[in-house]
Amino acid sequence: MKLSDHYTRTSIYISLAVLFTGAVIYFFTINLIANRQLDRGLQQQLIEAEEYIRTNNQDPQQYDLDRDHAVFIPTHAPYFKKRFFDTVYFNPKEQKAESGRAVEDQTSFRGNRYKVRITISREGIKYLIEVITIITLVLLSALVLVLFFANRYLLNGLWKPFYGTLHEIKDFNIADTPSFNGQPSQVDEFTELNQAIHEMSLRVTNDYLSLKQFTENASHEMMTPLAVVTAKLDTLIQDETLGPDQLAQITDIYSSINKSTRLNQSLILLAKLENKLITDDGQINLDAYIIEKTLQFQELMQAKELTCDTRLKHKEINGSKYLIDILVNNLFSNAIRHNLHGGKIEIELSEKQLIFKNTGANVPLIEQQIFTRFQKGKDSQGMGLGLSLAKKICMHYHFTISYSYENLMHVFVIGLA
Amino acid sequence: MKILVIEDEQALRENITSYLNVDGNICESCGNLIQAIGKLSMYQYDCVLLDIGLPDGDGFAVLDYLRKELRSEAVLIISARNSLDDKLKGLNIGADDYLTKPFHLAELKARLMAVYRRKTLNSNHKIIFNEITIDVMGRTVEINATPIVLTKKEYDMMLYFISNKGKVISKNAIAEHLWGDEMDMHDNFDFIYTHIKNLRKKLLDAGCEDYLKSIYGVGYKFATK
Repeated sequence: MKLSDHYTRTSIYISLAVLFTGAVIYFFTINLIANRQLDRGLQQQLIEAEEYIRTNNQDPQQYDLDRDHAVFIPTHAPYFKKRFFDTVYFNPKEQKAESGRAVEDQTSFRGNRYKVRITISREGIKYLIEVITIITLVLLSALVLVLFFANRYLLNGLWKPFYGTLHEIKDFNIADTPSFNGQPSQVDEFTELNQAIHEMSLRVTNDYLSLKQFTENASHEMMTPLAVVTAKLDTLIQDETLGPDQLAQITDIYSSINKSTRLNQSLILLAKLENKLITDDGQINLDAYIIEKTLQFQELMQAKELTCDTRLKHKEINGSKYLIDILVNNLFSNAIRHNLHGGKIEIELSEKQLIFKNTGANVPLIEQQIFTRFQKGKDSQGMGLGLSLAKKICMHYHFTISYSYENLMHVFVIGLA
Repeated sequence: MKILVIEDEQALRENITSYLNVDGNICESCGNLIQAIGKLSMYQYDCVLLDIGLPDGDGFAVLDYLRKELRSEAVLIISARNSLDDKLKGLNIGADDYLTKPFHLAELKARLMAVYRRKTLNSNHKIIFNEITIDVMGRTVEINATPIVLTKKEYDMMLYFISNKGKVISKNAIAEHLWGDEMDMHDNFDFIYTHIKNLRKKLLDAGCEDYLKSIYGVGYKFATK
């Protein structure tokens, strides 16, 4: 639920509660005031009636009944206090019972004690309360309605800069957005938010740049000595006085240099991947690409007399050519390297999956271990980084990668999201 | 061919210079940006080998200078930075190729020859070595004016050997050139042998002299006796 909805809901609940409580208090207060008003009138009439009786020296029961609904009843009951109470009033004009207010008191005339009761109609008050209730209800619903629409349209407008900012944050890409600016707003909180995010984006961009610089510098520093060694070896083998023994040593040095170079490149790539520093994404036609790869690896497969079956459906993915290259290269060269002489490789590509199957040692690999860095098979000549890189690349593109051993074949399945 | 090598690592610079200083090539070298600009302002070169990371500045400055002066030198960048941004930037502002360290000297020479050939744009795109004629545009090879049919890899290998004639080329260098350096073969170079055997057979069958020589398991050499 949106914040404005939360706000609308809360404000409507609160105003309803307050208005309801207010209405109850209002009702009782008006009732009380009205009763007091009526009681004062009754008191007045009571005094008038008694006065009348006293001045006219008449029998109280002769007192005009119609006018004041005053009743004098002779009584022998013990003394009681004057009391006001709600009762039923018979309206002689309308010929029906209405709610009324009455006062009871006692008086004595010529030695006789009388109970006096005067009743008047409360109909007027009732009507007043009804009108007030209706007005209150109308006001109440109008208020709720106004609150609802005000929150809905005015407050949504107020939140607009916030959503603009949110959108910009979502679109923020560290590699190509120079800095974050946010939507200008009159609201202090939003301006502050934008400022904070702006500063944060600057910091993050700075960190990103220095990290990028570090990765590249590290690469530079390690690659230059390797380049020197390679160049020296390339020069050394030109020497015609070298015998087979020396050249065999040089061959070993070559392969070690090759390994260090690869290790260095892989480590830098892993670091780059973890920091999401590779940003040359583009459309890759995966089926055409795999056919190209099979051609590239043809000679290697021929050397081991491997047969390669491909079942490829058309599939395009979005990604860095460089990374997809490494991913496919690693899986492919693993499938060749760990294969048996005269073995089989099957590659399947569908809309959802890319599958590499190969024959090899008749022992399933342990899935938990093979994707870990520097974890390699007993006979492997590699560094144990290939599959860990493959996994990192898959994670980078939100692909899944899994291993299984089925029908004497090692199967690697990449789930293309 | 007159070549200027701009590289700050002295050991590497010396090896490059001595490797390239054959076949009548004149190879000069310097180790920083100021010297490089100084040399370029005084002399004309055919090719410039440019390291991007120089002690007194960015190698891109050399490219900027050459472009501003409307010079026609072919430029090959050699850089330790295997970063796509750099590669694109270099190629955009006038470099002809980009080579990442570490590289084999044979690869460097082959690339250098290729950019030089592309840059000079002479009508004659033929490389001639005794009885062998390679037409670079048509990608065909003739022995004594008789064309021979080579696969793409055999043709590339042929061109690679010719570019580095008289030099021993290690098997690593050949494998990297033909199959790309991201392909990890783990020192199993048997398949190269098959390829070289095929190429040599085709050449010999066409009446070519045997120039290809195996050097004790370390590599191969393409040379006259």
